[in-house]
Amino acid sequence: MMSKRTMRQVFVYGAVCLAILLLPMLINDDFLLNRFARYLVLAMVSMALALSWGYAGILNLGQAMSFGLGSYCMAMALKLRTIPVHTGSEGLPDFMVWNNVEALPWFWKPFYSMPFAIAAGIIGPMIVSAILAWFMFRGRVTGVYVAIITLATLVVVNLVIIDQQWATGGFNGITDLAQLELFGITFDAYSATTYYLIAICLTVCLFLALAVTKSKAGLILQAIRDQEDRVRFFGYDVALFKTMVFCVSAGIAGLAGMLYTIVMEFASPTFLGVQLSLSIVIWCAVGGRQSLVGALLGAILVAGMQGALSESEVFLDTWTLVMGALFVLVVLFLPNGIASLGEKLAEKFGSRRRAAAEPAKRGNAISRSTKLAEGK
Amino acid sequence: MEFLFEQFITGLSIGSILLIVALGLSIIYGSMGVINMAHGEFIMLGAYGAWALKAYAGISLFPSLIIIFIATALLGALIERGVIRYLYRRPIDTILATWGIGVMLQQLVRLTAGGELRYVEMPPSLAATVDIFGVDVSAYRVFIIIAGAALFAATWMLVNKTTIGMQLRAVVQDRSIATAFGINASTIYTGTFAYGAGLAGLAGALVAPLKSVSPEMGTGYVVDAFFVVVLGGVQSLFGTVASSVLLGQLSGVLAYWQNDTVAKALVLVGIVILIRFRPQGLFVTRVRT
Repeated sequence: MMSKRTMRQVFVYGAVCLAILLLPMLINDDFLLNRFARYLVLAMVSMALALSWGYAGILNLGQAMSFGLGSYCMAMALKLRTIPVHTGSEGLPDFMVWNNVEALPWFWKPFYSMPFAIAAGIIGPMIVSAILAWFMFRGRVTGVYVAIITLATLVVVNLVIIDQQWATGGFNGITDLAQLELFGITFDAYSATTYYLIAICLTVCLFLALAVTKSKAGLILQAIRDQEDRVRFFGYDVALFKTMVFCVSAGIAGLAGMLYTIVMEFASPTFLGVQLSLSIVIWCAVGGRQSLVGALLGAILVAGMQGALSESEVFLDTWTLVMGALFVLVVLFLPNGIASLGEKLAEKFGSRRRAAAEPAKRGNAISRSTKLAEGK
Repeated sequence: MEFLFEQFITGLSIGSILLIVALGLSIIYGSMGVINMAHGEFIMLGAYGAWALKAYAGISLFPSLIIIFIATALLGALIERGVIRYLYRRPIDTILATWGIGVMLQQLVRLTAGGELRYVEMPPSLAATVDIFGVDVSAYRVFIIIAGAALFAATWMLVNKTTIGMQLRAVVQDRSIATAFGINASTIYTGTFAYGAGLAGLAGALVAPLKSVSPEMGTGYVVDAFFVVVLGGVQSLFGTVASSVLLGQLSGVLAYWQNDTVAKALVLVGIVILIRFRPQGLFVTRVRT
């Protein structure tokens, strides 16, 4: 049975997705559609972060790692499909020829198959994240240390990709890609087709994530976020639940990465840069870390404003300043982001949920202060 | 033998820079639990301070150190009063808020001083090289090693031998009881944050002659500094020294053996593994609970 709150949530989420899906009817400009498609991809990563950060309390500063890995998987597959103009024998990618590579490295070979590439783009980041999560959460690493480890891992992967130029294209990334073809449909980056592909993926992922949060596992995750030890004392395997949500989040981010390559028509080490990874955290925090749709809209809002203002140099400069200030203010006064404004409005029309939510909040604060006192 | 010694000096030189950079972060994180992501930007401001004072006021590096320390400390106090103090109960959010502050500071500098690289001259008295056991070492690097040791000694004395330091240690142990004994905890926190920020400013001014100065220079430093602090153990100043020397030597050796990128990646992997198995740091034997 769905509760009233869940019904309202499903309704709001559905409305947002519908709006996203109907957008191409209003816009006839392919360039603009490409741009919106980009924001939707970023929104997807932001939403994935909200799942692990907002619902399970895992602040993953390395979210861009999964995103970048997915993006490279798709880029490798599309690179092997380019019409060989500047390529070596048997369609060796151009940057490999420049790096004096004779034969295609073995790990490139499976990417001739598109289904393999798509599976790798989702499952690859999930496996990497599973290992990382298992490594962290088995050792009961929590809070700030999770943030450091994920950030450090991101930097390591980024360094390796830039360093191994012969296989990854180094700083330049993988450029000059073919267009994706699936089931006889060609996905041109500047077309409504690609936009619909992304919008549908986003919708599916959003509802998948919503289902996760509404499941029993989702409830346990929220309990872990609020008071980890208590859940452990109840006999739940905390590490297992955390690893699970970490992987789901990574899988969504990987899918988003693949879509990003399709929209941008290249893959670059900046896709798994620290800058992007921290931007994802910002979008998520501004939109509302405890609301999937909030994080999604936060990304569209912030990235969209940045994109709109980036045409003028002066505006872009001041925009960075404004964004920094906005971010500080949100952290200070709206810890749950813009979405909490919506929640508050909904509550006014809603029931006595406020009364029910209040003691939980206080309990949370107490647990935090005891943690502080314990010197954690 | 000579080669080993040369390697050792290189490592020590990297280590001393790490120490100077990490000391301010160590004292803020260790005593307040605040992860100051804007630390790198304070370093950057210190470096720009050294450049601006030389370029516009003609003040050479040594006298400008005092001005830079006071200025960055004041800015730190302002930020603590304005933002940080509302977040003591939400330690993870301090990462976010201070990062936002860092973005703003970076952008402010870019808008006022421009995005191009700046260079700070070495003081002429330290431009030469000195001969230590048959190895030529830049005098400025020797000076940095000494400065690092001196700053550490001063900080250690301040924390362990003065009344203010005692009050700080009391507040760290138990804020409410310290307050009951009449210690003004909020002033102590402001002072600590200001001191840490001031140290970061000094660090920036000191390393400026060795590196080029740019608005983005802080980002690399904050990551390094953070790893030094975590490796050394959060509440241990001596741990910070030990880990910065260790990391300095390690990067020196690895950079010789492999290229810089791989060295950096390997150090990071090492740190990740270490955090997993010894989150309290390498050099902490007793953890207060």
